[in-house]
Order: sequence, then structure tokens, then C-alpha cells
Amino acid sequence: MSSKGMIAAGNAGKKQSPAKSVSRETKQAILGLAMVLPSFAILLIVVIIPIVQSLIMSLSNGQGGYDLSRYAYLFTDPGMRANIVFTLRVTAITCVTVLLVSYALAIYMRFNQGPIVDLIRRTYMIPLFIPGVIATYGLINLLGNHGWLSRMLEAFGGELPRIIFDEKGIIIANLWFNIPFTTMLLSSALAGIPSSVIESAKDVGVGRLRLFTKFIFPLSYKTFLVAVTFVFMGVIGSFTAPFLIGANSPQMLGVSMQQVFSVFREREQAAAIAFFSFLLCSVLGAFYIRSMAEEEKAKM
Amino acid sequence: MQLSVRELAKRYKTGDGVSGINIDIEKGELVTLLGPSGCGKTTVLRSIGGFLEPDSGDILIEGKSVIGLPPEKRPTSMVFQSYNLWSHMSVYDNLAFGLKIRKMPKAQIREAVEDALKLVRLSGFGKKYPAELSGGQQQRVALARSLLLNPAVLLLDEPFSALDAKLRHEMREELREIQTKTGLTMVFVTHDQEEALSLSDRIIVMNHGRIEQVAQPQQIYDQPASLYVAGFIGKMNFLEGVADREEIRLGSLRLPNDKGLMGRVTAAVRPEDVQLSAFAENGSLLKGRVKQVMILGHYAEVTVELDGFGIVRAFQGKETVMQLQTGQVVGVSISKLTGFPVEEAMEAAQAI
Repeated sequence: MSSKGMIAAGNAGKKQSPAKSVSRETKQAILGLAMVLPSFAILLIVVIIPIVQSLIMSLSNGQGGYDLSRYAYLFTDPGMRANIVFTLRVTAITCVTVLLVSYALAIYMRFNQGPIVDLIRRTYMIPLFIPGVIATYGLINLLGNHGWLSRMLEAFGGELPRIIFDEKGIIIANLWFNIPFTTMLLSSALAGIPSSVIESAKDVGVGRLRLFTKFIFPLSYKTFLVAVTFVFMGVIGSFTAPFLIGANSPQMLGVSMQQVFSVFREREQAAAIAFFSFLLCSVLGAFYIRSMAEEEKAKM
Repeated sequence: MQLSVRELAKRYKTGDGVSGINIDIEKGELVTLLGPSGCGKTTVLRSIGGFLEPDSGDILIEGKSVIGLPPEKRPTSMVFQSYNLWSHMSVYDNLAFGLKIRKMPKAQIREAVEDALKLVRLSGFGKKYPAELSGGQQQRVALARSLLLNPAVLLLDEPFSALDAKLRHEMREELREIQTKTGLTMVFVTHDQEEALSLSDRIIVMNHGRIEQVAQPQQIYDQPASLYVAGFIGKMNFLEGVADREEIRLGSLRLPNDKGLMGRVTAAVRPEDVQLSAFAENGSLLKGRVKQVMILGHYAEVTVELDGFGIVRAFQGKETVMQLQTGQVVGVSISKLTGFPVEEAMEAAQAI
């Protein structure tokens, strides 16, 4: 072959290489999509389609048309309005209490040693392994009008205030369900804060309160947000405990939705409650995502 | 006295700890606690800083006992080994935080922080975050944070051990310069003897939870109080000899017996105090054979196997080394030694 011919052959080879690399990229893209597809399909079937269906159903006015009457009912009906306020109040009280107790437990376990710490460490997860229905039944037996605690107090001439079939019962049940997991989350976050950071803070003269507000909380803020999100969504959508130990009125939104759906047979109204609950959770979800994005931005 | 430690003792569950620790440090002194890992130097430092509560003893700072006080209530500040900058705060906030707690006016804080950054050669770094700084810069910020609090005693827990050799050397010089400028009393913990020798006004050598020797660096090097110190600081040869009232005899060599030892002794000899020359059969030199010559830049370490005395290492100038060859018979003389009783040598060997 002449030298010109060899150069031409070489160039031809070079021209082919971009085409090859494009095809490799395409293959990688297809592989990536194939990997994402199953989880997206599940998300679509289990979450997105039901939400869209609920939205469409909630907008239907029962006369073949679509309007916001179902949503208007949520805010105009006194009973329904009370349910929303009740749900938000129970959720807020639960979130604050869970976070306070869990932070206290996590901090105590992180910065102390001894038999009490060992005992807490060994026992605080137990509620996670007890099914919700059984735990709720246990709470009824313990805190009910004729429960153990009531009988014990009676023996001493005392009287137990109404806890079961009341807001207090739902909050206590929610604390039982949420404290262990939140404590676990916060404990792992606090374990990631080096002791030396705390020591150096103490070294410059930081007291206990400031140690929490300026060091422990900012350094575990990300996990705090995750915990708030989990507790908020869990409580706002809770059903078992509110159904079994909640009062007839006002009700948590989950119980109310079940009643509207299966007792009053108003599927469209139940869909409106479901979509409204979803919107409430979305607000917190959006706040969580925004906070995370801001933190990432600050890091960059 | 700026800092006094009296009969300090702390025992851990593992059995390790310190006991019988007595230290007196004058105002403006830079004193180093030197010893191997686990010797108790950090225990002493953390006890002074309030991060550990000793089992017994007392710690006085400017004449007042600080026992029982938490770290935040003690007039001390600590520079930690791992910098311990607060990652969620900027450099400025890291430095200003302690002053804010002390309720210093904002303008004064700004001025003090800028001065501190200037002192550690980090002017203009205030807005950066710790993650954006190199190891050396982070340690400078940590140092500035402690300096700003103007402590009665500044405690430094192996602050340069995470830095590379060159940076460590630079930081040592900077620290000494800052100490001279500020006149701060400093207690520095290290296991690096070179660092201790180059930095300190005085060195406290520790071993197995006890103090072996407290002296100025040169004295520690030239007159080690124990065989342990002799072996720990710098390179040392140990040769067995016999002492009478006047002299210590190492074969045909005779050297002064300053301590008045009697009987079998262990002679500690620095490699720079060993001289090599051509061997003369009837001379007053020890006979040896060159085993190895290691060129170490401007000098060389020559290993010689002595007849009847084992191995001895000598530091020699380039000119002498050029004439030496492996296997060559040489005469060995010693200009200076420190004698120790043989029993101490056995104890030290067990300790090491």
C-alpha cells in the first residue's frame, strides 16, 4: 500500500471512532433508564396514578361536572374544619414532643456513660418491634377508664383523667410509635459529631444551652429535618391508633376519610380529604427539599 | 508560679494512668511534655484543661486551684491535635465565638479577630469555611482561636502531628515566634523529640505515667537523668564497662567517672562522641570493623562492630567517610559518656 493509501485508511479509522463513542453513550443511557424504570414504574402505579385519580375524583361534583365544592366543604363544614384543626394540633404537639424527648434521649446517650445509659440503649427500640394494633390495645388496657393505671390510682384514692378516646391518647400512642425511630436517627447523627468538637466548644467557654443551640443542633440539623418529615407525615396520615383510641369527634383526617368513604359512602369527598392530606405532607416535603438544596448550595 | 501541678494521679480501668506528677511552670515559659504513646502526657494535659478529673492531686493556675472546674470555667485554652474547627461556622465566626460569649463589643471583636488572623498570617481568610483551608491553615486558625481568649495557660495537644514534615517545621517556628511575641505560658504535648528539643524552654520527659526528667533541652540531651531518657532522646550507643572511683573503663579506653559509680556500668555514648581512626595495634583505641556506611547528606552514620563490645554507631564528617570501606579495621575512641548502673539498664530495657 502507498503512503497516501495508508493515511487515508488511518483517517477512515478516525472518522469511525466518534460514531462508536456515541453508540456507547447511548447504550449507557439506555442502561441507566432501564435501571431507573422499575422504581419509576412502582412510583407511578402506587403513588402518582392514585394521586391523580384522587384529584380527578375529588373535583367531580356528582352532577357530571367538575368544581372545587368538595374542597370548599372541607373548610365550610364545622365538623370537617374541626377535624383539620384537630389533626394539625395533634401532629404539631406530637412532632414537638417527639423531637424534644428524642433529642434529650439521644444527647443523654451520646454524652453520658453508665448503667442508665446502657439500659436506655437496650430498651428504647423495643416499641419498634411491637405491632401498632397490639401496642394500641396495650395502651387501652393501661390508660383506659378501667385500665391498670386507673385501678391503681383508685386504690390510693386518685382518679385518672380521660386519656383513651381523647386527644391525649392519640398523642401518647404517636409518641410510642415515633420516639424510638426518631431517637435512633438523632443518635446516629450525634454519634457523627466528634467529642473533640464539643470539647473545643467547652474550651472556649460554651455552656450547656449554647452547646445545644450553636453546635449540637446545627451539626445534626439535616437529620432533624429528616426526623421532622418522618414524624409529621407519619402522624398526619396515622390511622390505627386514632381509629382505636380517638374520640368520635373531632377525628384525625385518616379516620375521618375512612368514615366518609365506608360509612357515608362519599368516595369523592374521601378523595378530597386524601388529596388535602397529601397537600399538607407536600408542604413539609417541599420545605425539606428546599432546606437540603440550600445546604448543598452553601457547601458549594 | 503560673501553673503548678501537685501530686497528680489518674488511673484508668485498663490500669494505665499517671501518678506522682509534680510540675511548676513560670509565666511565659513554653514547657513540653515528651514521651511515647501511652506514657500519660495527654492525661496530664487534659487534666489541666479540665477534660479529665484526676483521682487525686491539685492543679493551681495563677495560685488558684482549678480542680472540679469544668473546661469552660478554667483560665486555659486548648489547641487540639485534630484542629477541631467548627465546620458549620466561617473562620471569622470560629474566632469570634469565644469573644461573643465573653460579651465583647462587636467592633472590638472584629478588631481582635483581624489582629489574630494577622498574627497567624491568615489575613483575609475570615469568610472562608474550615473545609476550604489546608491542614496547616486550619491549625493556624485553631491556634488563633485559642490565642484570642488570652488564656493564663495555653495547652497544645500534639497540634502539628497531622501535618507533613515541612509544614510541621514551619509551624514550630511560627509558634515559637508567637510565643515570644505574646509571652503566653504554653504547655505543649508531643512524642516528637526533635519538636520538643527545638521548641521548648524546658522538657518534661514522661514514661509509664511518671516523670523521668525535667530540664532544659540541651541538658536533657547532654545529661540524661536515666537510661530511659538517654535512649529516648536522640541516638545513643550503650556499651558495658567497669567503673572504679576515678574512671569508667571500656576495654583500653578510660573516661571520667563523674557520678562515682562502682562495678559494672552501662555507658551511654552519643554517636557524635565516637571518633574513628586508623587502628594501631598498641594504641589506646578499641578495635572494630566497619559494617555499614550510611550517607545522610552533610554527614554519615558509620556502624562499627567492636571486638567484645558489640555494635557502635558513629557520626562522621564527609572527609572521614571517604576513606572508610566496609570491612575495614578501624580504631574507635570515645570523647564523652554518661554512666548508669547495670541494674538501671535492665529496668530501662524492660520499660522500653
